[in-house]
Amino acid sequence: MDILNPYNLQVLTFILLNSILAISIYITLSTGQLSLGHAGFMSIGAFTASILTKQADMPLFVAILIGGLAAGLIALLIGAPTLKLHGLYLAIATLGFGEVIRVIFLNMKITNGALGLTGLQSIGNYLYDFEKAMGLKAQAVGVSVMQMKSLSTFVFMLLLFLVILFLTLRLNRSRLGRAFEAIKADETAARAMGLQVAYYKMLAFIIGSVLAGICGGLFAHITTTITPDDFNYHKVVEILSYAVIGGSEVVWGPLFGALVLTALPEVLRGLAEYKMLMYGLIMVGVMAFRPHGLIGTDTFQKLFRRRKGKTGNEAKEGM
Amino acid sequence: MFWQQLVNGLTVGSTYSLIALGYTLIFGVLGIINMAHGQIFIFGSLVGLVLMTSMQMPLGVALIASIVISALLGLLLEYAALRPLRKKNVPHLASLISTIGFATLVEEAMHKFFGADSRAFPQSFGDKAFDLGILQIRSVDLVILGISLVLMFVLHFWIQKTKMGKAIRATAENTDTANILGINTNMVIIVTVMLASALGGVAGILIGMAYSALIPTMGMTLGFKGLAVLILGGVGSIPGAMVCGVLLGIIEVFTVAYGDSSYRDAVAFGLIIVILLLKPEGLFGRKA
Repeated sequence: MDILNPYNLQVLTFILLNSILAISIYITLSTGQLSLGHAGFMSIGAFTASILTKQADMPLFVAILIGGLAAGLIALLIGAPTLKLHGLYLAIATLGFGEVIRVIFLNMKITNGALGLTGLQSIGNYLYDFEKAMGLKAQAVGVSVMQMKSLSTFVFMLLLFLVILFLTLRLNRSRLGRAFEAIKADETAARAMGLQVAYYKMLAFIIGSVLAGICGGLFAHITTTITPDDFNYHKVVEILSYAVIGGSEVVWGPLFGALVLTALPEVLRGLAEYKMLMYGLIMVGVMAFRPHGLIGTDTFQKLFRRRKGKTGNEAKEGM
Repeated sequence: MFWQQLVNGLTVGSTYSLIALGYTLIFGVLGIINMAHGQIFIFGSLVGLVLMTSMQMPLGVALIASIVISALLGLLLEYAALRPLRKKNVPHLASLISTIGFATLVEEAMHKFFGADSRAFPQSFGDKAFDLGILQIRSVDLVILGISLVLMFVLHFWIQKTKMGKAIRATAENTDTANILGINTNMVIIVTVMLASALGGVAGILIGMAYSALIPTMGMTLGFKGLAVLILGGVGSIPGAMVCGVLLGIIEVFTVAYGDSSYRDAVAFGLIIVILLLKPEGLFGRKA
């Protein structure tokens, strides 16, 4: 039971949370749009959800969902004009949006300014109350109450992650996913083929933002404390590096990035202080040697082809 | 009060122009936005400031040190993050991300070397002020305005008239063609990146003089402001960067004077969002 201590579980939970964030940026990137506003959408989700649970006593998961939808609504509002912009312009506009949101939250009364919100409901407590009501006590499972709470949070996040991953994989194989891919490959050609490019780009932007908002809400209720500075430029760089280092062509890339970059500072505990330094080094290095990211479409193809090649050779030898 | 604020805005704004010129030069020649610009020049300025405070060096030496260090960091950026990406088949956002990575590196190095505290800037010119009736101009303001304006005009004429300036413009127009026509484009790019970073180094020292302090995290804030000016003026437009830098400075100072000071850092990006909605090519930009 030593592996299941709250600290390890917390790390695992954060890997899952960051994986969902990685999916959120992957979906936006899958139409070729680089959004640097994901931390902004996260903070909208986080503050909406926390204010709803703290001030309005709304059920936790409803609040988190509303937080996500609020982020999506804002994405719709700012997306309508900004998505006409391309590449760098979009990146800078969304970066600017994130900064403006941060300054607004820093100055609002309801978000408690720079001090942020503390004493938020924790997902672990919430789930444990449910479990107790259903007659499942920590002693019955043979773990302490703390462990039970962390474990419940982890299991919940794992289920949520698997659902989102499943939906993303389905999305990729659907009409919608193919439209996204076509737009990423060549926007002009996609438009010439009769695709409603603006509509699909908007959709990808909103899906990404809603996911980021939900992550914000989850983050707030896992750590139980948030300040506007949790969602600053460093967070943007962090989220971006998942997709960039892992690779943004297939969904496994960002997930790999999130796994490695969340786990690395924890595994190399002594180097945790140099976390951002490592992110920077890895970003420059990966871009220089593998600008498409560590895991690309070719990674699986190569593996597949090699296996295929082997069977081909064996077949020849057989003859 | 109004005229006084206008002068303050002009002073701060002229330093923003210098920062934005750094972005504009690199964008013009390489077609990328250098997200590490802010961190690079504030690193250089901090080295200059440390020389001034701990070794009692005069301002001139600090200025030169800051220029040299910033330019060297620019050179490092070119070799580490820009050159490896100048080959075919690289996604166009890769260089943006690679400069973000470089920025993170410089930022962390800055924390290790200088700590996170604000560092006071020595008052080199005393508090001498010229009373002009409706407004008072501090001598520091005059120096800042003077250096920025002279640099801007020298740069303008250098790019218009000299051989190197022509080479830079040719490379900006089309790198491959310039290369075929016998211009050493790699050299031009190195000169541009170093020049851009050096301009930032000057801006950093001037900002230190204007605020009488430098904070390591300023690199990010000021970098963002330069970025805002770049977009406002129209990406790649040198006059746009000059005029809009001053404009942003003035608007910011008036926001603080007549509005809410806590929104100061949101002004730049608020303006960007407005300008991108109304005139996406920027105030001085050509329609793409």
